[in-house]
Amino acid sequence: MTSRRGFLAGVGALVTAPSLSWAAVGNPIALSGARLPDGSDVLAGIDSTGAMTFKVPLPARAHAGAAHPDYAEAVVIARRPGTFAKVLDCASGRVIQDLQTPQGHHFYGHAAFSTDGAYLFTTENHMASGEGRIGVWDRSLGYRRIDNFASGGIGPHEILRLPSGDLAVANGGIRTHPDTGREKLNLETMRPNLAILSSGGSVRTVAERPLAEHQNSLRHIAVAPDGTIVCGFQWQGDPFDAPPLLSLYDASSGLRTVSLDDDLHRGLNAYIGSVCAIGPDSFAASSPRGGRVITFDATGRVTAHHRALDVCGLMPSSGGDLLASDGNGRVHAVTKTDLHAVAHHAAAFDNHMIAVSPSSPV
Amino acid sequence: MRLALVLALVATPALSDVTKALDSHVLPGHAGLVAATKELADAAQADCTPDAVKPSFHTAYDAWIRISHVQFGPIEDQGLSLAMSFWPDPKDSTAKALARLTSAQDAIVDDPSTFGEVSAAAQGFTAMERLLFDPQPDAAYACKLTQAVALGLANKASAINAAWPEFADLMRGAGGDSNTRFQSEEEAQRALYTALSTGLEFMHDQRLGRPLGTFDRPRPRRAEARRSERSLRHIQISLAALEELALSLTDGALTETRLAFAEARTRADELNDPALEGVADPAKRFKVEVLQRAVNDVRNAINTEIGKPLGITAGFNALDGD
Repeated sequence: MTSRRGFLAGVGALVTAPSLSWAAVGNPIALSGARLPDGSDVLAGIDSTGAMTFKVPLPARAHAGAAHPDYAEAVVIARRPGTFAKVLDCASGRVIQDLQTPQGHHFYGHAAFSTDGAYLFTTENHMASGEGRIGVWDRSLGYRRIDNFASGGIGPHEILRLPSGDLAVANGGIRTHPDTGREKLNLETMRPNLAILSSGGSVRTVAERPLAEHQNSLRHIAVAPDGTIVCGFQWQGDPFDAPPLLSLYDASSGLRTVSLDDDLHRGLNAYIGSVCAIGPDSFAASSPRGGRVITFDATGRVTAHHRALDVCGLMPSSGGDLLASDGNGRVHAVTKTDLHAVAHHAAAFDNHMIAVSPSSPV
Repeated sequence: MRLALVLALVATPALSDVTKALDSHVLPGHAGLVAATKELADAAQADCTPDAVKPSFHTAYDAWIRISHVQFGPIEDQGLSLAMSFWPDPKDSTAKALARLTSAQDAIVDDPSTFGEVSAAAQGFTAMERLLFDPQPDAAYACKLTQAVALGLANKASAINAAWPEFADLMRGAGGDSNTRFQSEEEAQRALYTALSTGLEFMHDQRLGRPLGTFDRPRPRRAEARRSERSLRHIQISLAALEELALSLTDGALTETRLAFAEARTRADELNDPALEGVADPAKRFKVEVLQRAVNDVRNAINTEIGKPLGITAGFNALDGD
């Protein structure tokens, strides 16, 4: 019995997908944008030892994107206000597909595949209204755009799929427009939120911080196996007057803050660059501005904190370990007791490490 | 052999190993803070009234500013940064913390062994300044607090200083087999460079930026240590200290850096505005702005002459604003 995907693959071979798996490109556990010394930009694959298993060229600085669960294929999205979104064959570097937003939309740097890799979801801005949108693309139709729906807020930034198959969106609340580059247009009225949506676009939940913290922009999220979502914020007000920059979300308790002692809180410089879930009871956050990585448990208790200049990307490695990348080309191993470099590349790693996580067998 | 010699002759000036920075700047700076805070504690013990304590307060605060840019190592490991000085303080946590202790007549002021547990905002030089320069309705309790804060500062300075020799050895032994803290000499140099760079950034953005505010809305009451009229002094002391650190990091000529520091120090010395009140006066404001620009020039100079040779790209992620 031919599967739907198999049938469509036969019809005109609309998707010329590589059948190569991630093993064929060195079993990376993460993908990261990186800038080389000559100023050119690449997408690199990083394995659990911090080694670079492949690198393929990019037209300009990327921000983040998504790795296909099964194939050595990745969507990479431009750093704002850039507009490219390319599906790349990570083995050959070939551009499989160039994604274009419709007139009046632009990408916001992040994307996520559905669990089976059949659909891609991209965060976008509908420029005229400033409303956040989610674009939906069908891989089997050559990544044709088949739908878009409201993101539940303004300025959707990171998007991820939850174990349930729903989507979580960090609506940063900040309105921008390509004509004015990265200028923030609505700081006085902004209201960020965490939105949980079905993959069809129905809003399940919208969680917000109190009104007094309305300038705490939710930018980055990650999910633990039990569905707990860790949230990292960037405070738009006085950096010395920042509210808590980390929260944990679950359906029963909503958004609860992670309280850090004053010294550690100040050390984050009002800016969380990236977050990840290391295991069911362990989370990590980085601040490139504060040059710090911290790990904490589900009750919000800090389990470790370390210094690392321009550190940003985070990726759980095997056995409960953590890798962190920085803008000076280093990949660090982070344990409870220390943070030390395990690899040093001639490249500046960009803000995020994108997880390469194979889907479970059907 | 000959080729190697030729290469050595044309090589760019090497960054010093960290010994020079440690021995001529970091360690003496911390030792100086111990001495000055001890004198402050002794003075407060002898006579806790404001006028009696002020001279040694000034000396100790100077000693702190001279080394406060070193925010890594023991002070960080012991979590004492804010307890030494709680600034900036946009919510006026200092006043609130002192008021809480005073209204409760909290007896913790009599117990040096537990005083370190009170709010960080009540422990440091910023708290001491309020006690000495703000009118104190409850003079008796304020006196006890003064003694407790002074003794606490001396104890903290001692604890930080005591941990430095071991940490310095970690930096000197960077790249050694079991040294996971500093895996290369470059990492140790980078920690020092970061202190330098961040110190200048703090001076530009906070010490100058906060009171400058905007032309339409200057904020003179945000100036650091304005009650004791030390705002400008902190900038002058810090400029001298940061220059000393910069020069200890490399054997190179550092021509641009020296010039930039000299210019900034001249601007600061000419300012004649101890609490930076001129930020609110359109006729005087530009002088503070000129100083701020001069500090920015220093940042550019050290970035070029020290940061770049160290291979530090100024914040690929930190400056991105994601």
